[in-house]
Amino acid sequence: MTDLETYRAKAVAWLKSMAPTYGREARKGLAEADDLALGRRYQKAKFDAGFAGINWPTEYGGQGLGHLEKVTFEAEEMKHGFPNFYFGISLGMPVPVLMQFGSDKEFVKERVLKALQGEEIWCQLFSEPSGGSDLAGLRTKAEPDGNGWKINGQKVWTSWAHYSDYGVIVVRTDPTVPKHKGLTYFWVDMKAPGVTVRPIKLAGGDSHVNEVFFDDVKISDDHRMSPVGGGFAVAITTLMIERYVATDSAGFGPHLDLFVDLAKHISLNGKPAIEDGRIRQQIARNYAMRSGLDSINVRARLMMQAGMIPGAEGSLNKLVAVRSRQKLSELAIDLQGTGGFVFDEHASPKEDWASSWINAPTGRIAGGSDETLLNTIAEKVLGLPQDHRPDKGIPFNQIPA
Amino acid sequence: MTILYDEGQQAIATESRRVLEARISKDALLPLLESVGDYHHPFWDTAKEQGWTALAMPEAHDGLGLGLIELGLIAHQAGRSLSGAPFLTSGFGTAKAIELYGSDAQKARWLPALASGDSIGAIAFAAGPDALPARPDVTFTDDRLDGTARGVSGGLAADVAIVLSNGPGVPVLALVDLTGVERIAVPSFDNSRCVADLKFADAPAETIAVGTAARDAALHILALQAVVTAHEQTGGAEVLMEIARDYALTRRAFGQPIGAFQSVKHRIAELYGLVELARANCIHAASREGAADFITAAAAARLSATEAYDTAARDSVQIHGGIGVTWDLGLHLHMRRARSLAIEQGSSLFWEDVLVDRLAGEAA
Repeated sequence: MTDLETYRAKAVAWLKSMAPTYGREARKGLAEADDLALGRRYQKAKFDAGFAGINWPTEYGGQGLGHLEKVTFEAEEMKHGFPNFYFGISLGMPVPVLMQFGSDKEFVKERVLKALQGEEIWCQLFSEPSGGSDLAGLRTKAEPDGNGWKINGQKVWTSWAHYSDYGVIVVRTDPTVPKHKGLTYFWVDMKAPGVTVRPIKLAGGDSHVNEVFFDDVKISDDHRMSPVGGGFAVAITTLMIERYVATDSAGFGPHLDLFVDLAKHISLNGKPAIEDGRIRQQIARNYAMRSGLDSINVRARLMMQAGMIPGAEGSLNKLVAVRSRQKLSELAIDLQGTGGFVFDEHASPKEDWASSWINAPTGRIAGGSDETLLNTIAEKVLGLPQDHRPDKGIPFNQIPA
Repeated sequence: MTILYDEGQQAIATESRRVLEARISKDALLPLLESVGDYHHPFWDTAKEQGWTALAMPEAHDGLGLGLIELGLIAHQAGRSLSGAPFLTSGFGTAKAIELYGSDAQKARWLPALASGDSIGAIAFAAGPDALPARPDVTFTDDRLDGTARGVSGGLAADVAIVLSNGPGVPVLALVDLTGVERIAVPSFDNSRCVADLKFADAPAETIAVGTAARDAALHILALQAVVTAHEQTGGAEVLMEIARDYALTRRAFGQPIGAFQSVKHRIAELYGLVELARANCIHAASREGAADFITAAAAARLSATEAYDTAARDSVQIHGGIGVTWDLGLHLHMRRARSLAIEQGSSLFWEDVLVDRLAGEAA
């Protein structure tokens, strides 16, 4: 066995032992508060077992291992349905950025340890009502206030803000320069006076994203994590950290086996739907697409193992997988006919077709919309020209509304 | 499991690309479209000279002892450059059938000649829409073939064929020396494929496999060929994507390169996705030869590669606008090839069924 296989075996064994206490079955029927409490205990168990912060430096409580071990662990972890998504953003982006750019090392260390053990949660305050894809078009402003800053404005789509203790935020500190150049990056205390969090109920019924309002929120200058006006670069670093996260060719929806099972058990025109050419074609097409992504992802892992940088084809994962999942979920509902009406808002999108269907649009928009991803492939991979951008080079406060 | 190409494999890709790009041009290929029954001899001479005909054949019979991965790399480049004849794939299928299921005498007779390229092989399994017919049109009685195998790629030029025939109550996979067998050229939209109807009349033939074994063998050979063809299709799709990208960067309209319009750039980005999925499936399938899931992997490669090449052919012409439909620009060479490769080795309809039978656990 290679070292990595040994590591995987160790992870598999530990995850299996945790499944009865924290896994899918244990979570069934739990209210969100109880589920979060269970999640905090699971995160602590992970930390104690040496599976938290796998590729983080040991001085911050991490394990000092490679990205490969992290991805390996996450691929196995994903199979059990643990309540770990509350910490996905927190440990995925804001806390690593804090480690990299936080100025007060003692403070940073304390926060990182608490976050790794599930005691504290961090959110990422980027998107605003006026722009999601156009991050640099944000309007929330920070003005000098004594020795520190005063923040006013609104963020939106902030995942888990309602449970968060801290957040990282990009704000406009200079509206008189072109939009990318007037931004600065800070951390904020989400419990500070003037911070209001209001959950947004999404189409599928859940409310894990929020609007966050800032009304004269005062912070000292030691909250600053970038040079004044240098916030965009740090924000991009944040977004790049998790470029090769655990992928899922099912687009975080149900496995294709579940569709095949459904088609075998449902009768269409007097025979099993699996014998219907229309259904067969969709199964075959989806299989070919998913196996292609699986092969891309295995190759990416092999390349990392060989010390190489994986190819740009990894950028196809979310684009291709989620929109296919959306269509396949529609077909799964069609297959069930009136039996497809049944809806359980607590069902998992990875196991239930209606839940997968209604939550699929979020997947096609969050973390880079399909259109943004296509632009990125066209421009960064294929070298095609950038779109026409009328706001380019113009001071932010002179951009026509 | 899939693989990363090693240095030797990368060298095969680089060298075959260099040679093919130097020796094949659309100017040589365009006239072939208007002449029934001829192929691009420099392509086939190159394949022989470079040892590509021997590449995936056993060393014991004058082959180089490499496999599907290496042949796939050559096929990918041949797809980029528009191969001038179908014989690399059909010869490989023929040789594999003899190597895996034939007698020592058959191996000694045919494998060295197929490895050198002195003999050309053809595969005659299909009957119209049926890639592996339960009752083939050609009958096998007392070591003799009768009836017509229709639409056989390479059939016009081939010296030997593997025929799926209808034996006494069972299918028979037969090896037939085509000397003296009447062939009728089929005028095609892609004439260098040398498509022919093979008219057997009391033609002496030898058994390769009988009954269920004949069908299983035929499917396996078809899958091996499908993986080679999938590489070729992916190569064709890849080069079309690049051609479309290059054109979108230079052609200007409404004051900017047309590649700056999202309707154009997204179309090209989508092609990139199809090409990469097909490539990934091809690499995976080539690495699964001999494994239990080989047929499944081959089907996935075949389906994604057909979709990639067809879509790339459609969309690259569309991105070019009027110039794209002209004879001289030659994009139609790829349009034609995309379709001929789509129906050789079983169409998507066939492979969808093969794949779903396996996924649903219904495979025989």
